[in-house]
Amino acid sequence: MDASSPPPAARTVRTSKATALSEAVALVPSGSFVALGGLWFHNNPSAAVHELIRQGVEGLTIVAAPPSSYAVDLLIGAGAVRTAYLAHVSFDHLGMAPNFRRAGESGEVEIIDGDEALLLGGLMATLEALPKHPVHSLKGTDLLRRSPLAGSSDAFGGADVAAPAAMAPDVCLLHAQEADIYGNVRYEGTPFCDPLLAKASHKVIVCVDRLVDNDEIRREPHLTVIPGYLVDAVVETPYGAHPCASQGHYAHDEERLTAYMAAGRTAAGWRSDYLEPYVLRPRTPQEYLAAVGGAERIERLASVVS
Amino acid sequence: MTDAPTSDELMTILIARELRNGELAVTGASSLVPVAACLLAQQLHAPDLTLILPSGVVNPRPGRLYRSAADGRWVPGAEAVGSGYDLFEMSENGRLDVMFYGGVQIDRHGNVNLTATGLDQGPLPAFRGPGLANTSFAVVSGRIILFSAGHTPRTFVERVDYLTAAGHLDGGSSRADAGITTQGPVLCVTPLVTFDFDEAHRMRVRSVHHGVSDDEVVARTGFHLPTEPPWPRTPPPTTDELATLRHIVDGTGELRA
Repeated sequence: MDASSPPPAARTVRTSKATALSEAVALVPSGSFVALGGLWFHNNPSAAVHELIRQGVEGLTIVAAPPSSYAVDLLIGAGAVRTAYLAHVSFDHLGMAPNFRRAGESGEVEIIDGDEALLLGGLMATLEALPKHPVHSLKGTDLLRRSPLAGSSDAFGGADVAAPAAMAPDVCLLHAQEADIYGNVRYEGTPFCDPLLAKASHKVIVCVDRLVDNDEIRREPHLTVIPGYLVDAVVETPYGAHPCASQGHYAHDEERLTAYMAAGRTAAGWRSDYLEPYVLRPRTPQEYLAAVGGAERIERLASVVS
Repeated sequence: MTDAPTSDELMTILIARELRNGELAVTGASSLVPVAACLLAQQLHAPDLTLILPSGVVNPRPGRLYRSAADGRWVPGAEAVGSGYDLFEMSENGRLDVMFYGGVQIDRHGNVNLTATGLDQGPLPAFRGPGLANTSFAVVSGRIILFSAGHTPRTFVERVDYLTAAGHLDGGSSRADAGITTQGPVLCVTPLVTFDFDEAHRMRVRSVHHGVSDDEVVARTGFHLPTEPPWPRTPPPTTDELATLRHIVDGTGELRA
């Protein structure tokens, strides 16, 4: 190389994973096995689930973090779920998850009871490329005796050791606070099971409140919890977790969640008073925001405590 | 400090008294009372108790109580924010000393049902419960403290319809015989009484709270209590306990709502 020639400039352009919500959700055909991130009212992939329902996706198998809530109950209520691997589903301190309860009592959805050990064990088996992941900690319970997830492990001490089979969802739907267009995802607060769900899934879609520059990601790389190589699509959806919370951005919306539960006292009431006005009628996240009172109202939620 | 304690305040104080300095305690869903009890114990006699919320937040100190277990407002001021994997690790290796459970049903051996009732009527349950995120903690946690905001014959039953979290199973040595090496339930606090367990691991009345009659306890418990009344009275909250709870832990009065 001639010492006087200028250094070579970068010539390649990285591929952006920034995707429109409707296109990202098209990665989830009917019949898919879908993993849902967040826990209770924290980081639910609400905007993505709304869009899934609008696109008429059905026949899903789902798995969620051990304590789950709104996103799971919504998909079940919309009739999109055939089989569900779940541990705990509730509206936390507000009460029962109405559609989950109804589906469990009617048999409309096949609910496979798990718990943290069984669900995370199955996901971890996928990460470890093993057929099963033994867990010893279910002794004495009906989960060990009755749950199809418990399996059995001859290799690890017999009948009281469960061995959930490797669980590999087709698509993982997550909500986080920030990412760049290459899918480097930042979390404020706990990521909880989101990294595990992402690593166990074939495809990963992340909705974020805000897209940031790659330079900003590089300034504080320790904040990146899910690196871009795990992510297939990143969607900027401001307030995309609403009516659930996004750490540091907005709190959960107790007024809306309580109204959801009240509507959920009957299946018909829930469809007419929640599903129609808040999920099916708004065609975009922007129209959803308008339907729930707008961004300013959501910004004020952090000061509302009950 | 003239106001009488509410049920939630009383239960908080009674649980706090049972927590020891240096312990690692984890709380679950709808667990404002045990969370408050841990924060109160840290102020009173257990400054080195570690509290981990079910979202993985370690030693929160928000200056007030939030009702949602995973409320993000527990995070600012906490010492660490863990992940689901941190809880999985504890659910297998038994790092934790104390776990708290409430139940749709709790039976006379301290077994907990959060899954479903009425399963003997056919393949579908009469009532589908919320399920339990971590049933393993009942097996691996050093001991279990049970609590229930309701005390009715439907809650306190002879035998759970579905055994979600392991108490003393069939009583006697059955828990140990199942290969479980931890203590299991040691206490159950309700708005009426504090229960503990006898040598056969049957739930019995340790004490009856102020203003509650022995007859009421019998009428509202769905299984036979192994000891006869009269039962001892619960030592009431001290001025210091109540003042610390109201001024330092629960300044906004969530336990009074």
